[in-house]
Amino acid sequence: MNKYLEISKITFKAQLAWRFDINSFLSQLDMSGEVSNELSTRIRSGTFSKYMVIPVNIQGYFMAQTAGASVFYLIFNLIAAIVWIFVFGINFTFTTDPRLMLAALLLVLLGLIFMIQLNYFLGLLTLKFQDIFLFLMIKSNIVAFIAGTLVPLALLPDFVLQIMRYFPFYYTSYLPSMLLIGRNGNEIGFGLITLGAWVLLFTGINKITYQRLRVKYDGVGI
Amino acid sequence: MNIIETRNLTKTYQRFTKEPGLKGSIKSLFKREFTIKTAVSGFDLTVQEGEFLGLIGPNGAGKTTLVKMLTGIIAPSSGEISVAGYYPNRLENSFKQEYAVVMGQKSQLFFELSAADTFLLFKELYHIPEEEYRKNLDYFIKLFGVSDILDVQVRTLSLGERMKMELIVALLHNPKILFLDEPTIGLDAVAQKQIRQFLKEVNETKGTTIILTSHYMEDIKSLCKRCVVINGGIKLYDGDTDQLFANYQTHKKITISLEHDKTCSFLHEHVILEALPYKVTLLVKKEESQELLKDIFSRYDLNDISIEEEDIGNVVERIYTGKSEVKA
Repeated sequence: MNKYLEISKITFKAQLAWRFDINSFLSQLDMSGEVSNELSTRIRSGTFSKYMVIPVNIQGYFMAQTAGASVFYLIFNLIAAIVWIFVFGINFTFTTDPRLMLAALLLVLLGLIFMIQLNYFLGLLTLKFQDIFLFLMIKSNIVAFIAGTLVPLALLPDFVLQIMRYFPFYYTSYLPSMLLIGRNGNEIGFGLITLGAWVLLFTGINKITYQRLRVKYDGVGI
Repeated sequence: MNIIETRNLTKTYQRFTKEPGLKGSIKSLFKREFTIKTAVSGFDLTVQEGEFLGLIGPNGAGKTTLVKMLTGIIAPSSGEISVAGYYPNRLENSFKQEYAVVMGQKSQLFFELSAADTFLLFKELYHIPEEEYRKNLDYFIKLFGVSDILDVQVRTLSLGERMKMELIVALLHNPKILFLDEPTIGLDAVAQKQIRQFLKEVNETKGTTIILTSHYMEDIKSLCKRCVVINGGIKLYDGDTDQLFANYQTHKKITISLEHDKTCSFLHEHVILEALPYKVTLLVKKEESQELLKDIFSRYDLNDISIEEEDIGNVVERIYTGKSEVKA
């Protein structure tokens, strides 16, 4: 039976582990969407100044806030995942290689940082565009597709995958989940460098965007 | 020593306008039209360290815009500005340590936290040494008498309690300047009085410079020796508060509730603001108010009477126009 369900060399058990547990588990840990929502709401309602007048790195504040929320949900998601695995007696395939596990953990952490940065950037765009719904919608669709939460990327043609490997979303949950089922170990180095580079890039972009847009903002209501 | 200095400070901003309806919406997608609004114009201001300055003016006068420029929230369009030696809009952390801002309609608190946790959070944010934090906290808790509500989630506090917490949070790090934008808005008389006493005490004992904007005359009169009147973004008056009110607050607002529906013909000599069958509100010259009250008490059976100061809007309008007539 397994032979029929083996797609692109991913076994049925591995597919189960990837699709229904690891990937969705990792995706649910990403609470960064709240950052753009809160920023946008606060700028529009005129309460963003709350953060401007206290001696705090605003992006750092949102990072800490999101990390706190992610840890909180991690505990409950972990309990739910364990229930999934043991109570329903599903036999998943997980790696036992510590190298893959450590790399997955690092990628997840970098991925969370990047997603917070991206959402912070999109939230800041409210200072210029007032309504960022369109940007958020585009981001959600790109993230869902490139992160492989819509369809396992292994099913896509190679050239598409090659392009995606230069984007950060591939490494935020898709690659870590593949690593945790013992696959794609050869992509660790490139993944860490690419994701690290995106994080560095957005650190600069966000700093410049905040400095420029807050000065030009004419809404007064902040 | 001047802690705040502005010279020719101006803030203008663009406002997007569009024609009404679908056609206007579509048109605005391709051609945006803006109007320029001057919120603050050529504003000169100096504030000395330890001063308690009142900033008054009607809605849209430019008070909040001025406070936002002084705190660095928005950048001035032109002019010079220096607050505690800093250019505010650079928003340096060392500058933010020098001041605190409390806005009556915008909370600095974190609603999910208890007040005690909020204080701890601000202790970390401002790097307040343990000893200083403990000393300040004990002082403010005692001054406000809020020890029994420290462990309550902020979102469950009443408006008055929350404002007290806002003030404590703002003052924990010993700021040199405290900006207050309508701190007593929506509060009952008791809470307003408590907050006034608190601010007076803080100004006198800690030497904190306080800039207060308020619509409540009582706030300004009881707290600020000096006040600045602003309207349409322009400074209209800068000087002694008592002198300002002596010059321009020339009337009192008297409301009488009558036991029976009576014609109050003699009241028509005064400006009547509202006339209902059992209730009349009128504006009376200060020097005539005593005589009028005697008359009212002798002629009518009263249910109730209230005597208030004139609306700040009228006073500011009078200063602005330089006229003394009273509008109903």
